[in-house]
Amino acid sequence: MTSLLINGKKHDIEAEDDMPLLWAIRDLVGYTGTKFGCGIGLCGACSIHLDGKIARSCITPVRAAKDKAITTIEGLTPKQGLHPVQQAWVEKEVSQCGYCQPGQIMAAAALLQENANPSEDEIRAKMVNYCRCGTYQQVFAAVKRAAEIQGGQS
Amino acid sequence: MSKILNLSMTRRQFLGVSAAGASVFLLGMSLPFGRLGTDEGDEAVINAFIGIDENGLIIFQNPFIEMGQGTYTSIPAIAAEELDADLAMFKVVQAPPGPEYRIMFNNTTRFTGGSFSVRSSYMTMRKAGATARAMLISAAAEQWRIKPVECTTEPGAVVHKASGKTLSYGQLAPMAAKLEPPAEVPLKDSTSFRLIGKPVKRTDSLAKATGAAEFGIDVKVDGLLHAAVKQSPVFGGSVKSYDKSVALNMPGVVAVEEIPNGVAVIADNYWHAKTALQQMPVVFDEGPNSGFSSKVYLEKLQSALDQPGATAENVGDAVAVLSEAARKLEAQYHAPFLAHQTMEPMNCTALVTQDHCKVWAPNQGADFVANTAAEITGLKVDAIEVFTPFLGGGFGRRFIMDYVAQAVTLAKKHPGKAVKVIWSREEDTQHDHYRPMTAAKYRAGFDAQGNPIALHITTAGEGPMGRLNPEFLKDPKLDDSIFEGGAHQPYAIPNKRQDVNMIPVKPVPIGYWRSVGNSQNCFFKESFIDEMAHEVAADPVEFRRSLLADNPRFTKVLDTAVAMANWKPGPWDENGVKHAMGVALHESFGSIVAQVAEVAVDDGDIHVIRVWCAVDCGFAVNPAIVKMQMESGIAYGLSAAMGEEITLENGRVTQTNFDNYPILRPDQMPQVEVEIINSGEPLGGIGEPGTPPIAPAVCNALFVLSGQRVRSLPLSQYSF
Repeated sequence: MTSLLINGKKHDIEAEDDMPLLWAIRDLVGYTGTKFGCGIGLCGACSIHLDGKIARSCITPVRAAKDKAITTIEGLTPKQGLHPVQQAWVEKEVSQCGYCQPGQIMAAAALLQENANPSEDEIRAKMVNYCRCGTYQQVFAAVKRAAEIQGGQS
Repeated sequence: MSKILNLSMTRRQFLGVSAAGASVFLLGMSLPFGRLGTDEGDEAVINAFIGIDENGLIIFQNPFIEMGQGTYTSIPAIAAEELDADLAMFKVVQAPPGPEYRIMFNNTTRFTGGSFSVRSSYMTMRKAGATARAMLISAAAEQWRIKPVECTTEPGAVVHKASGKTLSYGQLAPMAAKLEPPAEVPLKDSTSFRLIGKPVKRTDSLAKATGAAEFGIDVKVDGLLHAAVKQSPVFGGSVKSYDKSVALNMPGVVAVEEIPNGVAVIADNYWHAKTALQQMPVVFDEGPNSGFSSKVYLEKLQSALDQPGATAENVGDAVAVLSEAARKLEAQYHAPFLAHQTMEPMNCTALVTQDHCKVWAPNQGADFVANTAAEITGLKVDAIEVFTPFLGGGFGRRFIMDYVAQAVTLAKKHPGKAVKVIWSREEDTQHDHYRPMTAAKYRAGFDAQGNPIALHITTAGEGPMGRLNPEFLKDPKLDDSIFEGGAHQPYAIPNKRQDVNMIPVKPVPIGYWRSVGNSQNCFFKESFIDEMAHEVAADPVEFRRSLLADNPRFTKVLDTAVAMANWKPGPWDENGVKHAMGVALHESFGSIVAQVAEVAVDDGDIHVIRVWCAVDCGFAVNPAIVKMQMESGIAYGLSAAMGEEITLENGRVTQTNFDNYPILRPDQMPQVEVEIINSGEPLGGIGEPGTPPIAPAVCNALFVLSGQRVRSLPLSQYSF
């Protein structure tokens, strides 16, 4: 039995230490917003937060997450309303097929956590997840918009 | 299939999606559209799109799937326009299989692809909305004991202005559903459109921003089993032997089963299935194709370029004029096999019982899923239920039902248990149905003044249409999907000939890849037109314009992109980095697109900085989505041009994952500007036409920059 803290709640699951966190989250806990894309940590569809920092759950073993706070896209979504990044994503209509977008949103939220007002260059350097629909221009614009929304709230 | 059965099946689907306990009333269940233009006797083709529950929620059964291209917004918006409702009142769901949703090609088929969704259903959806509105008005008029003409509507309600009375669609639906649908309904005048032609907001943005959007890979069913598959690496191979016990002794493993071309491990979760599969020794019989090499196939294609073939276009006498031309130009091109690489890998979930089968599958045609499942289970098509969630990309890959067949095969062996098959990225890359490799030779002749007088194209390859849908070919010897985009282009050259050599590429699975034959033939054609311009020292824009003098529609598209870009024919320097522009113009799927690309080469690295794109799709039903699809098409085409290539050696695909099959990264995305031309011509498609022009536009710019002509892709094989 392994205990994981996901989205503020403790989950006791039967997972081997080397099981990638992605499959523990999806198949054992049931949060399916975190996606499988490549399995080698390249595309970023599986992005989550570990203690607030971006991590690729498809190459993060369960053992590395045992004493950390795990946040998925479901946990980023507040009880009421939306996270500023999600607001910006809806406002800018970023999503096309939408499959990579939870990972993009987690990456954007982690970036804004580090730097509330990133420059264009920093956004382009940090937003590295793949999108096969080519929504990249909208992703960059939405990160900027999210920074504005967040700035307005604080 | 009887009408009653269709009705009950559809009703079940409607009831399943309404709020718990709410009754749903179906409007226009037997619209007679299907009889128009057909002579199939008295059976009415049912178009069952709109249901309204008592709370006023409008449940819209969409015959087209959502894979990013915006059909869950554009299609219901067309119906909502005539129904007089806001999209916020809509819940859009995927229609089940069945004849009532086969609304394409004179009510014979249904699929999502070919950039057909909006243009093939525009009038059907308007009539569906208008008919439902007329029935709601009749119901209100009956209740108020007045004439229908005295009533009008505002979004979601029927209004009697004289008395100030209002009844919501939800209140009226029970009565309206009992009425006979009117045979004829007036349609709105386009000047009063509120939704059509407007940048209506997407209906799927919220679900996709919260992780709530359900994709096939996310499907949850009680007692779900998970399967990982290993298919024969050599196409046409089969399983020879494997040691089941190794897998069966591993944690969570339930069974090891054979599938048609490989083995599957079924376990309690995907990771257990995948790990056990990796550990299990499997030996494949490679079959007769282990000698296949894409390099050798390319040589075969190239040697076919001097052979006479079937003739697809023949105007004047290109061969004779060429032989006597004052000046000649010849160039040979080729394009590689390409994978689709949807972000969501192939997956499918199936549950089979003695007399029923449920399939949850990302697909580009629900009927294809039902037929595949019926064939494997031996059940009738009526006993197959198909659920289509959002697709994490399609691009033509999800017409092919190989992954569906696997899930149903495994579920049949475990009756009563739902089985979900997920392909690893490696399986997905190595078992795609690829955009075929193609080669072409272009020859042009000029008169003494440098005017082009003859163009002779020979194209060699195999097309997906002939392989997968030969029934669509007008002439069995002429597969459009090999040469489309090369022949029948609008440039006014008096002698034109297009020859085609079909060179079978079996055993390689080939399929429809975003923009199909246009993806490679536009690269060949627009590169060669550019070569022709340079041959006679003409500006590539002016040269094209001079050949389009009699074609104002194409000219306008070209001129628009050129004006947006503030076209510069020569290279220029910015901080020691060389920049240049390239242009391409192409018609596909009924739409005309011109693109100008600004490219820079910095220390050998290619940077596509900006793309200006003009599109004439007749009329943009949703201009915001049209712009997004142009951007998306450009990203897809640029991705392929920059670095995508599938090669085969010893009968197997060399590439495995994104590390050796690189797709476009965010830092490679150009800034794209799109301008739409509403010409009023018939509606064109929009999901694909953005893809073809980008490769030649970029390559033509690279020529201006470097003097190096790109005659094969991807660009990663060149040094600049």
